[in-house]
Amino acid sequence: MPEAINPAFRRAVIALSGGPTDAAIVRLALEVARPNRAELIAVHVVELDWTQPLDADVAERSEEAQRVLDAAEGIADQLHCKIESVLVQARDVGAAIVDEAAARRADLLILGLSYRTRFGGDFAIGRTIPYALKNAPCAVWVLRQPKGEEPQ
Amino acid sequence: MFVIVVGGGKVGYFLARELIGSGHEVALMERDRDRAAQITEQIGSIVIAHDGCEGKYLGEAGANRADIVTAVTGDDEDNLVICQMAKHHFNVPRTIARVNNPKNAALFKHLGVDEIVSPTRMILGSIEADIPVHELLILAALGGGELELVEAQLREGSPAIGMLAGSLELPDGCSVFAAIRDGRAISVRSDTQLREGDRVIGIGRAECEGELYKILLGEEPETAD
Repeated sequence: MPEAINPAFRRAVIALSGGPTDAAIVRLALEVARPNRAELIAVHVVELDWTQPLDADVAERSEEAQRVLDAAEGIADQLHCKIESVLVQARDVGAAIVDEAAARRADLLILGLSYRTRFGGDFAIGRTIPYALKNAPCAVWVLRQPKGEEPQ
Repeated sequence: MFVIVVGGGKVGYFLARELIGSGHEVALMERDRDRAAQITEQIGSIVIAHDGCEGKYLGEAGANRADIVTAVTGDDEDNLVICQMAKHHFNVPRTIARVNNPKNAALFKHLGVDEIVSPTRMILGSIEADIPVHELLILAALGGGELELVEAQLREGSPAIGMLAGSLELPDGCSVFAAIRDGRAISVRSDTQLREGDRVIGIGRAECEGELYKILLGEEPETAD
């Protein structure tokens, strides 16, 4: 395979929400990363309310958080690729993801936007994606689910 | 240290910013959603857009584990309620309140607020340091607000003029230990005779302020609220 001259990215942070778009963004990132052997970091943020200190032992004990990261690692294994998985505790998901991308000197941040079938169906863009689009120091890709697609 | 700052005005904003800069964990409560969003934009996701006067929201802000709750809204009543709730409902070890009307200071102390800060009084103090008025200046609050470092300038008519410092009948826990005389600092001992123009510096319990005033400066003038 000829080497890409201008790789899309060298190091990307993938923001995993535990939602239906996680698998799609991990696959996309792995496919794009493979030709250039770009580095991938899958980040899942566990949001803590203020009643608990940020260093409370919550995320590590969370089966749901582990499931999210295990799923990403499983996809990477299937494609014979490597992915680093990181669990973060924070007060705000958007800020934590952007901070992680900045700290890792990532040149790409990838997020997913899922379709919500409730309430007649719409895209609940929430706070995280606008925050990342506005504040991330690197490029941001948002993979939007096709309209009307049922969540898995 | 985890500090909850209630009130996102200028004081609250800069206070939170400085505390974060010093490495402390800070939650800032601001009930005005627009202002809360503005602060979030400027210093990050530390803002809780709710009214700190409501116990439910103070609880959500983490008052159960706060080391300090500081109420710096522009409203004395709110600041008192916030500190009382923090102290008595959430057992916060230290509460600090901004007191806008200096007349409320005694009430705040009486009702258990650990420390009070009165910007009005501080500015008055600075002004009065240059303008000759009969006033007891509060130079600093010490010992968690229990003690005050005070300065009194002895002017014509002050009862302390001509007296030996040791003969002043100061209240328990109060002492006069230094003076500025002719631009020079002197130690005040029991045999030091006080003179007109001396700026006498002492320390005492906050509740003895009135008594100190009377001993050093004479009868306290009536002031409007």
